[in-house]
Amino acid sequence: MERTVTVVPEDGLHARPASQFVETANEFDADIQLGRADEDDLVPAASMLAVTGLGVGHDESVRLVAEGDDAEAALDALEDILSTPEAKQ
Amino acid sequence: MTERTLSGIGVTPLSGVGTVVWYRPDADLPEPPAPEDVDEDAELARFEDARAAAEDELEAERERTAERVGEEEAAVFDAHVQFLNDPQITDGVTDAIEGGLPAEHAVQETFSEFVEQFENMGGRMGERADDLRDVRDRLVRVLSDGERVDLSSLPEGSVVVAERLTPSDTAQLDPERVAGFVTVTGGRTSHAAIFARSLALPAIVGVGEELQSVEDGTEVVVDGESGDLVVDPTDERKEAAAAAAEVDIRHESVETADGVDIEVAANIGTLADLGPAVDRGADGVGLFRTEFLFLDRESPPDEDEQYEAYVKALESFEDGRVVVRTLDIGGDKPVPYLDLPDEENPFLGERGIRRSLGPDADLFETQVRALLRAAASADGANLSVMLPLVSTVEELRAGRERFESVAADLDSEGVENELPEFGIMVETPAAAFMADRFAPHVDFFSIGTNDLAQYVMAAERGNERVSDLGDYRQPAVLRAIDATVSATEGEDCWVGMCGEMAGDPDLTELLVGLGLDELSMSAVTVPQVKAAVAETDTADARELAERVLQADTKAEVAEILTLDQ
Repeated sequence: MERTVTVVPEDGLHARPASQFVETANEFDADIQLGRADEDDLVPAASMLAVTGLGVGHDESVRLVAEGDDAEAALDALEDILSTPEAKQ
Repeated sequence: MTERTLSGIGVTPLSGVGTVVWYRPDADLPEPPAPEDVDEDAELARFEDARAAAEDELEAERERTAERVGEEEAAVFDAHVQFLNDPQITDGVTDAIEGGLPAEHAVQETFSEFVEQFENMGGRMGERADDLRDVRDRLVRVLSDGERVDLSSLPEGSVVVAERLTPSDTAQLDPERVAGFVTVTGGRTSHAAIFARSLALPAIVGVGEELQSVEDGTEVVVDGESGDLVVDPTDERKEAAAAAAEVDIRHESVETADGVDIEVAANIGTLADLGPAVDRGADGVGLFRTEFLFLDRESPPDEDEQYEAYVKALESFEDGRVVVRTLDIGGDKPVPYLDLPDEENPFLGERGIRRSLGPDADLFETQVRALLRAAASADGANLSVMLPLVSTVEELRAGRERFESVAADLDSEGVENELPEFGIMVETPAAAFMADRFAPHVDFFSIGTNDLAQYVMAAERGNERVSDLGDYRQPAVLRAIDATVSATEGEDCWVGMCGEMAGDPDLTELLVGLGLDELSMSAVTVPQVKAAVAETDTADARELAERVLQADTKAEVAEILTLDQ
């Protein structure tokens, strides 16, 4: 299951949005990976290091790939985070 | 032993004398034993224990920081927990242990790889490298079990010296036992500097590599005002510094040399600021920025929570006035649960009273209820409230009517309440020009010099390119202050000042001369300003103010003030 999403938070995938993204990715029974939309490389969404290491900024697009029982729910939740301007706390 | 002096950037106007304790979290580990001598299972278990212990520490520090400094500063610890539990890290460390390294070496090696990667990426990634280093050092400290300096149990009178101090480091420091700190790196706005100011600790940052030459156990004087670190000080120097450190904190109120009372109060944002305000001898609170109760959370504080906060502030100062400013949201202060408009120029947009009378009317009503109830509490007679960013008489009237109508509601509900002393902030040129029309309707004015300078000079706060224009020593700003005070002549209306200008002891005499009755500032400079008030003679001060008001330029103002010192 795959989805492409534009990153809305001002900070991009850093600081709080990244923190929240990783926390959410770890909550689901699914193997989730992400990468830049225009590149083939994927990294594990459950890793703070990997996620911040991508260096994705505001307004860039990312590709989310999920497999497992909760794949769809996980993608919904992650898409929600990436499309919310201020990181929820 | 000859005295020598190193210089850096002083970040607090305080001095301290103490003994150097070097804090080197990334000091080299001893050589690891041969791989065949490493018990793999035991090392893996040690790593797991250390990880659990580090996570507990982080949770505790998160709580402590949220309470002492703020939710914003505390959020960094969430990221630390995620790095700590990151699968790439745990896999890396496990692999390294299985390859024959003891746990602390495995941690050092694994983290260092990632630190280097992030550093090479630069920019915001560099900040992440600091976080990683921070988590690594914590793990290594837990693993090496007390062989490193433990910041939470230093001997009394320690001066902590380090390359840098991270949020995790400062969260552990016990301000009661530390005489100050000095770092190699950092600037005026670095985390360590902000921390030093909020806890009133003598501190110098950015001394540079020369600091490495100062050895553990050396006696030093930390002068947080000049930025001088005096190594092996002479006895005279130590005595002078100790005397300065004791800048007689006056807990009693202060009057000028000729007997005029001047109230010297503290600005607070959160309840955590009350302790330092009391300790530094503030007479009360001259500005309680209530918006801090509303920031960094998911929903606004309810009436009872606010009531508790206002009562707590009142209880902290038995005889002192507590001036609460109603919500000043907008401008540069984002609040996630409010739908703040995206404005072209937020400082000239819907902020302060404009929002309280408009889109935030419900929030405002809740706050007014809490304030009216707090005014009826045991120490409630000392409560004053003021409205921010008022520019028209209509706004003042509407705000005041709000208090009256909510009081009537509370009466009909049978809830005890009182109308507190009522005032406005003078921050806009409109308010300064119209001060004579505002004065009959209020009990007091409080001049907010940061915003007043910004609006009078049309020079954005925090924009370094126009910082010379936005300076409160600009003659136009001084005239706006003078006009405001003069407009209260013959009215029953006292005038206070909150904002950085009020906390500058070099300007105290001028401000007394301009006729201010109250000065409110960050807690740290309260003793210096009280001392300056006590030395002031009001007739001389008035004469100084008259001369300053004749100046054509900021340079002339500065010159008159310097000659006067």
